[in-house]
Amino acid sequence: MARKDLLDIASLHREEIEFLLDQSTSFKQVFTCSVKKVPALEGKSVLMLFYEPSTRTHTSFEVAAKRLSAEVTNFNVAHSSVTKGESIRETVETLQAMRTDYIVVRHSRSGLPGMIARQTKASVINAGDGAHAHPTQALLDAFTIKEKFPDPRGKKVLIIGDILHSRVARSTSNLLQKLGVEVAYLGPGSLVPKYGPETIRRFTDYDAAMAWAPDVVYLLRVQMERQDVQFFPSLREYHRLYGITTERLEEIRQRGLYIMHPGPVNRGVELCDAVMDYERSLINNQVENGIAVRMAVLDWLTPGGESPRSEPTFGRSAAPLPHFTA
Amino acid sequence: MLLLQNARIASENSPTLLEGDVLIVEGKIQDVGNNLAIPEGARVIDARGRILMPAMFDAHVHFRAPGFENKETITTGSEAAINGGVTGVVMMPNTRPAIDSAAVVATVLESAERKSRIPVYTSGCVTKDRQGKELAEIDGMRALGVKMLTDDGDTTSDPAVLLRAMQYATEFGMFFASHCEVPELAGPRSLNEGVMSYRLGIKGSPACAEEIIIDRDIRLARAAGAHIHIQHVSSKLGMETIRWWKSRGDVKVTAEVAPHHLLFTDEHIGDYDTNYKMNPPLRTQADCDALLEGLKEGVFDLIATDHAPHTPFEKAQDFISAPNGITGLETALVSLYHFFVRPGKFGWDLVVKRYSAEPRRLMGLPVPTIEVGQPADCVLFDTEAETTFTKEFMKSKSQNTPFINQTLNGRVDMVILGTEILLER
Repeated sequence: MARKDLLDIASLHREEIEFLLDQSTSFKQVFTCSVKKVPALEGKSVLMLFYEPSTRTHTSFEVAAKRLSAEVTNFNVAHSSVTKGESIRETVETLQAMRTDYIVVRHSRSGLPGMIARQTKASVINAGDGAHAHPTQALLDAFTIKEKFPDPRGKKVLIIGDILHSRVARSTSNLLQKLGVEVAYLGPGSLVPKYGPETIRRFTDYDAAMAWAPDVVYLLRVQMERQDVQFFPSLREYHRLYGITTERLEEIRQRGLYIMHPGPVNRGVELCDAVMDYERSLINNQVENGIAVRMAVLDWLTPGGESPRSEPTFGRSAAPLPHFTA
Repeated sequence: MLLLQNARIASENSPTLLEGDVLIVEGKIQDVGNNLAIPEGARVIDARGRILMPAMFDAHVHFRAPGFENKETITTGSEAAINGGVTGVVMMPNTRPAIDSAAVVATVLESAERKSRIPVYTSGCVTKDRQGKELAEIDGMRALGVKMLTDDGDTTSDPAVLLRAMQYATEFGMFFASHCEVPELAGPRSLNEGVMSYRLGIKGSPACAEEIIIDRDIRLARAAGAHIHIQHVSSKLGMETIRWWKSRGDVKVTAEVAPHHLLFTDEHIGDYDTNYKMNPPLRTQADCDALLEGLKEGVFDLIATDHAPHTPFEKAQDFISAPNGITGLETALVSLYHFFVRPGKFGWDLVVKRYSAEPRRLMGLPVPTIEVGQPADCVLFDTEAETTFTKEFMKSKSQNTPFINQTLNGRVDMVILGTEILLER
């Protein structure tokens, strides 16, 4: 079935994920050609609607769209009517009138891309919404891991850091689990929620987490801007307890573990400088793969349809409804 | 003159429905019995199979006037009440200006007198403009009939201010209603902290934010010798806290539960559906089950809807930006029937006791019954019919309810108040 939007990982079937990862491989081959462009989206328009600052995701989507020959328009939020109090709904109605084919949206509010998707016929791609989802980041992470472990089933990925505020942790762990990868979280007790999925192990002690024997260590950026109260005493203490210090990097090197990070890196917080030169750091691979994955996503979606969740329905969620059987 | 024949009569004192005729003359119940003679000129209604019961009373509604008449007015709110089988309400004071002085109370009550076909009562603020700093002009409000003091919508944060208010106003025979929430813990998001908040990526509001204040305010009331009424309890431990305090017997505590907290869980929010966004938030199935248990045990003295209208535009925002609250007046009685009475979870006697009698007792009002000599204040309810909550059906100015466009079993067929038939379908 053709999909209009990509809003999260949870709704993706395993076959769809496999398809997108396969397609990403093909698109990545385009990068090696002298002309890094294919005509897949010729005549189509892609609108970049970024309400949050972003360099790498924004650029990655823009490059991906251009390599598919699409026209790219950047909606400059700082100079838009949003600053005059215009609602998202009004903005989307205006954009709808411009008949854009794809809207790539990033916003600090969880669920907002889904809301936009219900209001427009354009294909909406969630480029990160609050702490909810970042599906293309998850796809590029999975793609990067699969490059090192073509059959990743049974491999272990340890995600370290601020899980509470991280859309990357939610989406990437969800996707990796769909591929059969074991996932564990490590971080301060205040930032690793106790009510996360039961299938994900929860560590608050670095040594205990390393004893779990991960194959990949995935560091999350400490997002001080999302923390409305103090979750840990100091960055120095965070680095000492949860960061990749020089000593820990040596152990990681000896064990041959891969290191990933969605960027941008807080040097001296999540990791020491030496990690950037570590031969098994996949951080730059993630950036490159992001373009291929986003090309695959843009090529895969089908604009023009209604969002299947356009009308609220009583008890439409997957929740058990014991009272509703009367 | 109205003769309802063969109705099934519900009362708060008996789970058994009595079948019989009820004759209403000049707004009073003149006779109740079997095969009553049809007086000359009487209108006869075949009520066979239908439930006749005292009309409901909602001690917790937001009619948004003054200040937010785009959401609701006293006219539309009271018509919504009638539509749901409710013949009396208590407004909350979180209006603009807030209902914190005799002048505003007088304005509201005068407006209600002109615009509502049912009695509309109002609560008054504990503190000026609900700021939690200075006491509101309590005696002036009391002189106009205000009995309930509350900063509803917010907790009176400073316990010293609330304690002083309790010590002062208890002497005037007033009682306190508490919206229980530590704001620093709850945050502005109104989503239960748990599996769902993690999944949706929204920082949740833990149940302890509510439970702490339930306990705090009861302790303050005990210290002041005040009557404390705990509003819209949502959590199991909150219910158990109230049960424990009631069992001690050394403080006057009453409490209410809203139908939505009995019916829905945070899982119903699904894909960020703002019609399930309310404060306190929907919690878990275990909480729902405990609240139902508390209602049946009498931990909760009354059912109240916290009818909270908001415009479609406001509710069409993303989940975090959308305001808290759902409407409840028009759906409460039918949903209580559909989900609880019909499947046998509790009987009509509980509905009458908790949604008709006790709220009136809380407010010091006479309690209507279907008995000879009583004023007519009753509802005729068809258990075999259905209600579809369409926009056209709703009388409220707002339709922010999970029940919108849904069909449930049961229908309010007739609402009678004194000499008037307020509603007839």
